[in-house]
Amino acid sequence: MRFSITGVNHKTAPVEVRERLAFDDDSLAEALQNLKMRPGFREGMILSTCNRVEIALTTEDGGGTTVEIDEFLADARHVSREWVTPYLYRFEDGDAIRHLFRVAASLDSMVVGEPQILGQLKAAYALAKQHGAVSGFLDNLLTRAFNVAKRVRSETEIGENAVSVSYAAVELAKEIFGTLKDKKVMIVGAGKMSELAARHLRRSGANQIFVTNRTRERAVEMAQLFDGKIVEYTEFLSFLPEVDIVITSSGAPHFIIVRDDMKKVLDVRRNRPMFLIDIAVPRNIEPSINELDNAFLYDIDDLQKVVVTNLAGRQQSAEDAEAIIHEEVSRMVARLKTREVVPTIVSLQEQLEHLRAAEVARMHGKFGKLTPEQEQALEVLTKSIINKIAHGPISELRRQASEPDGQFYVSAIRKVFRLGD
Amino acid sequence: MHETGVFWLRVATVLYGVGLLHALAVLVRKKAGFLKYALFAFLMGAVLHFVSIVELTTAIGHLPVDNFFECATVCAFLIAVLFLYVYWRYDYASLSVCIFPLVFVLAQIGAMETPILSWPNPRVRSAWLLVHVMMILLGYAALLLTAVASIFYLIQERQLKRKKKVNLFTKLPPLATLDNLVTNSMSLGFVFITLGVIAGSTWASIESGTSWITDPRIALAFITWGFYLTMVFLRATAGWRGRKAALMAVAVLCCSALTWAAHIGLRTMLAAK
Repeated sequence: MRFSITGVNHKTAPVEVRERLAFDDDSLAEALQNLKMRPGFREGMILSTCNRVEIALTTEDGGGTTVEIDEFLADARHVSREWVTPYLYRFEDGDAIRHLFRVAASLDSMVVGEPQILGQLKAAYALAKQHGAVSGFLDNLLTRAFNVAKRVRSETEIGENAVSVSYAAVELAKEIFGTLKDKKVMIVGAGKMSELAARHLRRSGANQIFVTNRTRERAVEMAQLFDGKIVEYTEFLSFLPEVDIVITSSGAPHFIIVRDDMKKVLDVRRNRPMFLIDIAVPRNIEPSINELDNAFLYDIDDLQKVVVTNLAGRQQSAEDAEAIIHEEVSRMVARLKTREVVPTIVSLQEQLEHLRAAEVARMHGKFGKLTPEQEQALEVLTKSIINKIAHGPISELRRQASEPDGQFYVSAIRKVFRLGD
Repeated sequence: MHETGVFWLRVATVLYGVGLLHALAVLVRKKAGFLKYALFAFLMGAVLHFVSIVELTTAIGHLPVDNFFECATVCAFLIAVLFLYVYWRYDYASLSVCIFPLVFVLAQIGAMETPILSWPNPRVRSAWLLVHVMMILLGYAALLLTAVASIFYLIQERQLKRKKKVNLFTKLPPLATLDNLVTNSMSLGFVFITLGVIAGSTWASIESGTSWITDPRIALAFITWGFYLTMVFLRATAGWRGRKAALMAVAVLCCSALTWAAHIGLRTMLAAK
């Protein structure tokens, strides 16, 4: 049996290629059915996300999988094989296991440590299982991959810190307020960045969003996205005491929230903390506001610094994660290799038993009739002889199985005992 | 000597006690239903307090402000009247959290000018002392928690302001959580310390008559309690929270540590007696 993974990801193929190769739900089911028809097919799974399309496959020995799987993918996505091949990578056996574990643990992701990939992999597995395309080996391997991903997540800090500016803002808000449930957010100036930050905040529970913008239409547009309330631009300062988080991204050339305004706001709030996120350039909020008690002001550079620090932390975690993966792959490969020598062991035992039975039968001709006791003694004697002979080679086979040059010993033993091929 | 005056003062103190219970319940549970009754008891207490002061004045011929005890009781009465006026005029009840305990403790000090009784038996004496010590220790434990949470708060706040994390403190709880912890443990600590101070001062007055009030250690204990009261007051009514409140909690802990240190000598003093 051979195990391989063939596919493209964000490193080998630009988005124009990935989008042509990506499967949707219907074509994925159809492709799985087609894959099962291919000669030599044993098990298969197709993973298709926006950053990768991969086919994991186990085939019977001796099949030339290389060409066929390229062809399969080209056919399934209606592109020519010559066009797709340059973008494809292929991993086999141990390397394929390693690749699978790395994908599951989010080490191969565009944003290392992002959590979605594991869910996508689980969905792909469920679909393949539903179509009867995985059983035995691939089933075990994927279950193991999910465990490895879990281990990486719990033993390293890979997924812990935010690596995007808008997400960093959410993390900081959580460090101030604990839960964001029922916290109120005001967006001053409707822009792409503030929209993204607001979206993240909303997903974390901050459900009341006020929007204000110099041109009202844009505010209305954005308020609809979050079903937020519109505040007149001229009056937004008087609304500030009610909100806990302020995001500014207006194009104003001067500060729109100054220190004196903020002092009054904090007084009205009776010192409940306030988180101000200024992602506008030039800045919208007077920087010295950060010196006021209970006001926490972060501008775009501050957020970017948080992201850079977190990314560096992730790099370290990724190294720890690679070590875990290395360990898990060796363990898996060793287990597979041990399984590989099982047929050799069985045929060795059969061979010896065959010889023994033939010799005993030959003896019967010479000795004539034996008493049952003699019969039994002869059985015990001959069996214990072959067991003792087999003991050495069998334990050596098991031990050598997981060694790098184990194959040499395995074939030597096969030769010595005339086990045939 | 002016027996009835002292009697009315004691009854007034008991009525103020209802107010005290209300204040403590508010601190522990955030909401106590019986403010109306507490205010009524407080008002009755103030009336009887007035009766007592009038009686004492007629008995000695002038306003009874000759010593600390008498000053305390008159002071308590004035505070009570002022509070009732503010409440009647502005409907401002949130002051009660601090005023009720303050008036009670001052009235209690006044009521202990003349020793009530001696110990019925030594067991009650030591049990009383044990209650006092337990209350104070529980209070200190809560105060210690408050101070630790406050220090964490200060560190976390500093990290957020400076936008830099110190390796040792990357996993501190959110500011809001720490602030809540400070508020809750401080309130609970105040309840224990107040009960402990009341138990302790009655014990001392029964033990050594009127001379207890001049003991500097006891004075220090009252001052510490006063600081604590101020902290509760600022937090409950003036909305002090965050950094200022955290700094104050640390200061009160230092003050309490001083009181405790002063009391370490107390046991040896008792043994020598």
